[in-house]
Amino acid sequence: MAAQNLVFAVLAVVAVLAALRVVTTRNVVHAALYLVAVLGSVGALYVLLAAEFLAAVQVLIYIGAIVVLFLFGIMLTRPTLGRESGLDNDQRWLAGITGLFLFGVLSYVLVEAFGDERLPRLEGLDREALTAERGTGAVGDAIFSTYLVPFEVVSVLLLAALVGAIVLARRE
Amino acid sequence: MTPAVIAQIEPIATPEIEWFAVSPLLVLVGGALVLLTAAALARSRPPRGFYALFTVVTAALAVACSALLWQRVTDPGRGPFTAIGGAITIDGFSVFFAVTITAAIALGALLADDYLRREGLDGPELYVLMLLSGTGGVVMAMANDLIVVFLGLETLSIALYVMAGLHLRRLESQESAIKYFVLGSFSSAFLLYGIALVYGATGSTNFGAIAGFLSGNVLASNGLLLAGFALLLVGLGFKVAAVPFHVWTPDVYQGAPTPVTAFMASASKAAGFAALLRVFVSTFDVYRLDWRPLMWGLAVLSLLVGSFLAVVQSDVKRMLAYSSISHAGFILVGAEAASDRGIAGALFYLLAYTFMVVGSFGVATLVGGRGDADHGLSAYRGLSRRRPLLALAFTVLLLAQAGVPLTSGFLAKFYVIGAAVEADSYALALIAMLSAVVAAFVYLRITVAMYMGDETEGAEAVTRPAVRVPPGAALALGVAVAFTIVVGILPSPVVDFARDAVPVLLSAP
Amino acid sequence: MLSAVWLIPALPLAGFLILLAAGRKLGEPAAGWLATAMVTGSFVAGLVTFAGLLGEDEHHRQFVFTVFEWLPSGSFSVDVGFLVDPLSMAMVLFVTGVGALIHLYSIGYMHGDPRFHTFFLYLNLFAFSMLMLVLGDNLLITFLGWEGVGACSYLLVSFWFERNSAAVAGKKAFVTNRVGDWGFMVAIFLTFASLGTLTYAGEEGFLENAGALPEATALGIALLLFVGAAGKSAQLPLYVWLPDAMEGPTPVSALIHAATMVTAGVYLMARVNPLLDAAPAALTVISVMGAATALFAATCAVAQRDIKKVLAYSTVSQLGYMFLAIGVGAYVAAIFHMITHAFFKALLFLGAGSVIHGLHDEQDMRRMGGLRKLMPITAGTFIVGWLAIAGIPPFSGFWSKDEILAAAWDSNRLLWLVGVITALLTAYYMSRQVFLVFFGPPRWQEAHAGATSEEALAEPEHEPAAAQAAPATPHESPPTMTVPLVVLAVLAAGGGLLNLPGVLTLEHFLEPVFEDRLHELDIPAGILLSLAAVTGVGVVIGILAARAIYLRSTQPADRFEPELLRRAWGFDQALAGFFGGPGRAFANFTSRVLDGRGIDGAVNGIATLVRGGGSRLRLTQTGYVRNYALFMGGGAVLLLAFFLLRTGVA
Repeated sequence: MAAQNLVFAVLAVVAVLAALRVVTTRNVVHAALYLVAVLGSVGALYVLLAAEFLAAVQVLIYIGAIVVLFLFGIMLTRPTLGRESGLDNDQRWLAGITGLFLFGVLSYVLVEAFGDERLPRLEGLDREALTAERGTGAVGDAIFSTYLVPFEVVSVLLLAALVGAIVLARRE
Repeated sequence: MTPAVIAQIEPIATPEIEWFAVSPLLVLVGGALVLLTAAALARSRPPRGFYALFTVVTAALAVACSALLWQRVTDPGRGPFTAIGGAITIDGFSVFFAVTITAAIALGALLADDYLRREGLDGPELYVLMLLSGTGGVVMAMANDLIVVFLGLETLSIALYVMAGLHLRRLESQESAIKYFVLGSFSSAFLLYGIALVYGATGSTNFGAIAGFLSGNVLASNGLLLAGFALLLVGLGFKVAAVPFHVWTPDVYQGAPTPVTAFMASASKAAGFAALLRVFVSTFDVYRLDWRPLMWGLAVLSLLVGSFLAVVQSDVKRMLAYSSISHAGFILVGAEAASDRGIAGALFYLLAYTFMVVGSFGVATLVGGRGDADHGLSAYRGLSRRRPLLALAFTVLLLAQAGVPLTSGFLAKFYVIGAAVEADSYALALIAMLSAVVAAFVYLRITVAMYMGDETEGAEAVTRPAVRVPPGAALALGVAVAFTIVVGILPSPVVDFARDAVPVLLSAP
Repeated sequence: MLSAVWLIPALPLAGFLILLAAGRKLGEPAAGWLATAMVTGSFVAGLVTFAGLLGEDEHHRQFVFTVFEWLPSGSFSVDVGFLVDPLSMAMVLFVTGVGALIHLYSIGYMHGDPRFHTFFLYLNLFAFSMLMLVLGDNLLITFLGWEGVGACSYLLVSFWFERNSAAVAGKKAFVTNRVGDWGFMVAIFLTFASLGTLTYAGEEGFLENAGALPEATALGIALLLFVGAAGKSAQLPLYVWLPDAMEGPTPVSALIHAATMVTAGVYLMARVNPLLDAAPAALTVISVMGAATALFAATCAVAQRDIKKVLAYSTVSQLGYMFLAIGVGAYVAAIFHMITHAFFKALLFLGAGSVIHGLHDEQDMRRMGGLRKLMPITAGTFIVGWLAIAGIPPFSGFWSKDEILAAAWDSNRLLWLVGVITALLTAYYMSRQVFLVFFGPPRWQEAHAGATSEEALAEPEHEPAAAQAAPATPHESPPTMTVPLVVLAVLAAGGGLLNLPGVLTLEHFLEPVFEDRLHELDIPAGILLSLAAVTGVGVVIGILAARAIYLRSTQPADRFEPELLRRAWGFDQALAGFFGGPGRAFANFTSRVLDGRGIDGAVNGIATLVRGGGSRLRLTQTGYVRNYALFMGGGAVLLLAFFLLRTGVA
């Protein structure tokens, strides 16, 4: 599985570097575009995990909808595009320490819990069974059985968001 | 696809849907949808107060459904049950919170009625959002699954973010909405990560399954689970405004339109505690030795910070915001006891608090005046002469918050502190009483301002517009004050209600 | 006849409710008469119950009447119920009796006040709360009444809230009392935790089982209850509110701050006597604090200029006597002194009120003098009160004070000495007051009708021209005011009959409440007589000294009124200084650190505070979301760190 490991390494490096650029770049539009790289890499990681549906949703929603909305928002509200100052403040060191600590703790507990476990090799598994267990169809089944209530609550959530968006956007 | 292909596909095994179990939710969502549609399609403006009346009727229907559910869960033959694939639990606990949150909706709608007309914001949107937000809160209370908790919380929050920014002409309102939104999303991220960690440690997000797993297995390394606890506590602590996750509270309570603040302080806090109690006290019961010290810390910080900082405020809404933080501390005292008595005390406290806080912010709604800006202590000077009944009502509500006997507030404090004493948390009980003493000073300051005029009173009375008390708000205040006093004198029914509402752990059938 | 007990608190409550609903319509003077009738009815109901109690067997005079279950709570419940026993009935009778007289007096005193009916509304509410306090059959009901009388006291002290000093005094009373209430609350929870009940009577009750508590627990509860009692009964160091509380109308001072409410602490101590018995160290603390307060307040009283302030410090001092009596186990002497004190101190306050009324709100004794000719009834009754409090036989104060001093002698000679010195000082400052007010040359012409006493006290040299408003001639008060004075004078003179040595009526009556915990005097009659003689000599010295200074001397009396004593040894200022300085600084510090608003917020916050709460200034520069987010992140780090340490990793 050297190929898979290699792909993972590449994707991971891209994701991390792009994420760093998101918070360090001085250009807001660039930040949004770096975000696309981050989200795309994560989506590709989902493919590696054989979660095609999740990968598709990741691309559709995050890149297709959210980042595009970001860009629209930037373009409609910023008079000038380009490098800007004032995106940073004196709190960055404290924030960095806090973030690093959280990262350290969470990595630690994850490694502690799952450090020894390995993903099952795909060759030895029955592809049919795998698809039935975690394929797109299985996700659909789960949404309409185990997760029916969450699914319906999401619709209420979206309704609230919709009403809210209209209320806030409306000018008297 | 051809029909032949479709016929080949096996039908999905959808769970049985007990419509009755979710009837309060259906009523609330249905009410919101009907109100929204009707308002959009109506040719002419509806009569004054129609939206508020509709909301109150919807809330009353939801309470009626809850009453029927209550009959079912307290019936020894049937008892509590899970519904719709084990995603929600219907027990006394869910019903208790359904009633509490719905009461907050009704009272909030009554307060909003005249407020919206006064501020020139009249429309159905606030009521729709309030109903949707309340739905989210009830979902949180009914949840039997961490995912459901999260979605309920998001529904509750998203509607609240918008409601906080509803006053489009007030900069403070916009500011508070943005602050609430950013910080709320931040805390949701913590919550979600916590859910993921707990799922990783236990293999399930279902409460029954988690509790079963925790009591049946000894974890070799529980770091994952404990980190999950911590992150869940961050997310829920934010919602209930417990220190140190309270930072948003004063600004948002102060900036949001006052009826929204009333709703936020009552329903949102109740829903947050519903989740907190069910997740920690009920589901993670086995690990109580691990989370109780944390709960202790949060309770002490909330009690002290809330009451001490309330003293140095000069804005009444801000004072009430800090006092609500200290109330959260008191409820955490009940949670920290980790016993049925503690939960019952916390529930009693929440119900009593709901009426006290809605009433208090209701008074602030009226005194705030046109523009919703006049919330300084000076606005209350001499209120007893301008509006004696309003001042009296506020005095009762403030005394109740201070925990004066013969009000529901006293009994609420009595029950949570009693539970703490029973659980041998003597230090916590002492700190709680100390902070009650300190906080009493805040309530006194407001009362003094209302009853003691100052020298400039004569001149100010001319410039200060008269405080109007519209019928809707008067009704809400009357209900709040009556509840506070009646429960203070004859608490047995509410005490029994709270005692029978201790959450039950049920696995999916 | 015993079942009439529910009427005792119900009547004032009814009066309160009627006045609440229709007080404004009733107006003056009907509202006053209604309130007076209610309290009088309550007194009659008390007499009926008392008669019923006398008809019962002497050693089983303890009855509980439950009204309804109030607090269901797991295995135990708290009822709203009344405990009828000799102690509660003694309290009821003097509370309602003195209360009714003061209600009657108030009708005359409050004449013409725009909020006449509100005053009686508060008075009736107070009477109701006080009766709940003494009749309650468990600690929680007592606490409820305790809070109620505190709230009424607060409302009545600041009744004339147009005066800033009245509002401030009300606040001070409230805050100081909260400290005491905290002690009481903690004591209640401790009691509940250790005994599992709060009810006084019964097999499982507090009174039966308190004696069996471990000594440390008993000591803790007893001291916490004493903190509560010290707050309510104005003992060191929580006495500070009482002198300021004199801003209230004079009948309030007489009823609440002399006769009834301030004795609640003494009542509480007597009520929980089995508990005190189990904690001898607590008794020592109580007796020492009582004696210290008695002496301290007496020294303060000698230099006061305000006619009511003298009486206020005197009250604090006399309450100290009562605690001294409790501390040496002389419970009956404490109750006896409480009753006689209620008679003569109410009389003195009402007399002072009559003087103030007659002089059109003049309270400075330096502008009185020679009033005995103009106000003969007031002067005569006041002199009776003076003789009683000074301890001249056969007036009531002599008997009760003598009993306390004898018990103190038996317990600790030093306590007795402090008591005798206090008695001397008491005689001195009361004589000073009587001589300044009723004897000597009239000085009231100098008084300026327009100036409030507050201003006059603050700037004694700066006298406005008296010609601006011609001072009215002092006049005797109307009959509604003088009748209570006369009745109280009779009581103050003859109150000693309640418990004459050899007869000991009160002691026999109260004995079942205290049983063997009552301190038996073990002093030969000869020594007893010589003790009384020593006290008597002290009293005479005090009176003669006052006479020499204030009647005979031509020199200004200022030399004998040290500024330090007038300011109560600077205790009050020290306290205010602390809370205004370091205390406030601490609050500001926490606000800066914890509010998460950064420096700007603190600066603005302090500025706002300095502006006296004017909050028009919106604090726009505060509340950065990024600060808040960091704060929350820090909180998350703390929670995680805690768990990390717990799992034993770090």
